Amino acid sequence: MRTLLFLLCAFTSSAFGQLAWDNPEQTFNSKPQDESVVAKYRFTNKGNETIKIENVATSCGCTTTALAKKEYAPGESGEIEAKFTFAGRTGRQEKAITVTTSPASQQPTVLRLNVNIEEPIKIQPQFVFWRVGEQPDPKTIHIAVADDSPAKIASVESDNPGVKVQLTELKPGKEYEVQVTPASVSQPGAATLLIRTDYPHDNPQTKYAYVRINK
Amino acid sequence: MRALRQALLIFLAALVPAGLTAAFHPRRPAWSEDTLLPGEEKLQTVLAWGSGVLWIDARSSKEYEAEHVPGAILLNLEDWEQLFPRFLDQWHPEEKVVVYCSSTACELSHEVAERLKANGISPVYVLKGGWEAWKNRK
Repeated sequence: MRTLLFLLCAFTSSAFGQLAWDNPEQTFNSKPQDESVVAKYRFTNKGNETIKIENVATSCGCTTTALAKKEYAPGESGEIEAKFTFAGRTGRQEKAITVTTSPASQQPTVLRLNVNIEEPIKIQPQFVFWRVGEQPDPKTIHIAVADDSPAKIASVESDNPGVKVQLTELKPGKEYEVQVTPASVSQPGAATLLIRTDYPHDNPQTKYAYVRINK
Repeated sequence: MRALRQALLIFLAALVPAGLTAAFHPRRPAWSEDTLLPGEEKLQTVLAWGSGVLWIDARSSKEYEAEHVPGAILLNLEDWEQLFPRFLDQWHPEEKVVVYCSSTACELSHEVAERLKANGISPVYVLKGGWEAWKNRK
């Protein structure tokens, strides 16, 4: 039995390493005005020897990390700060941060940073198209305004008079539908739909959707 | 001898959760470099398609300007609003769209592919190995 306990201890220590992480997987819900989130991963050296953090690698160029120092004595705590810049990303985002330590027997630790990025104004789809020669039946674009966004849709215009748009408010200030109808699809064509908001009031934002008639 | 038997029992008991993890965990690693994730295609497969492929470079504009697959269009999340209409001007419905970023570890190509699909673009594939695979082609 003693032999068995020895084997268990030997395997366990090499498999799990000796940096204890307080919260290795963190999830955030962003606000419409947020452009990034910062997660702090706190750890403590629970072993009997100094641990060196050799490398902190991220799964995406959008995530940067900062670490005050590399070597941590037994019992010492530290923190890795990870900043995830959204840069146009929306929806559920899952990023990984891989921490490699020495002694070499330590297994890399994978920290997880999950963010639910809410779009202030979600346009789905952002693109509708027809094939030349098909029926010019109307197609629909949905617009949803996030609950905590102060913006409203003021108007939708097409820059091509041959493509008609009709805006309908489904749920006051929150949900809209745009019906897009080309006058003709006998030739290739294109249009940009300008979706004008009323926010910010001093310089209202315009969103875009696109129409193509392709061969 | 008894200890060895017990160790073997523990090993076999550990195999059950390990097997379940390998089979069902959503973030399980690929078995080998050749394993394709959903939506991925190998470079040889894409090259075998010949023409009718629209290459999309999902890396940064700086990386794209330095070097890219001949004929590839730049389309990344950072500059989506400016680049998406340019993509639409080049895209034809009968083409296969193939997105790549830097390497296997890069997630951008999958993100761009998903956004294209959400906008009705089909079919869309991700190049396994990304730009590195293109650079190392024989």
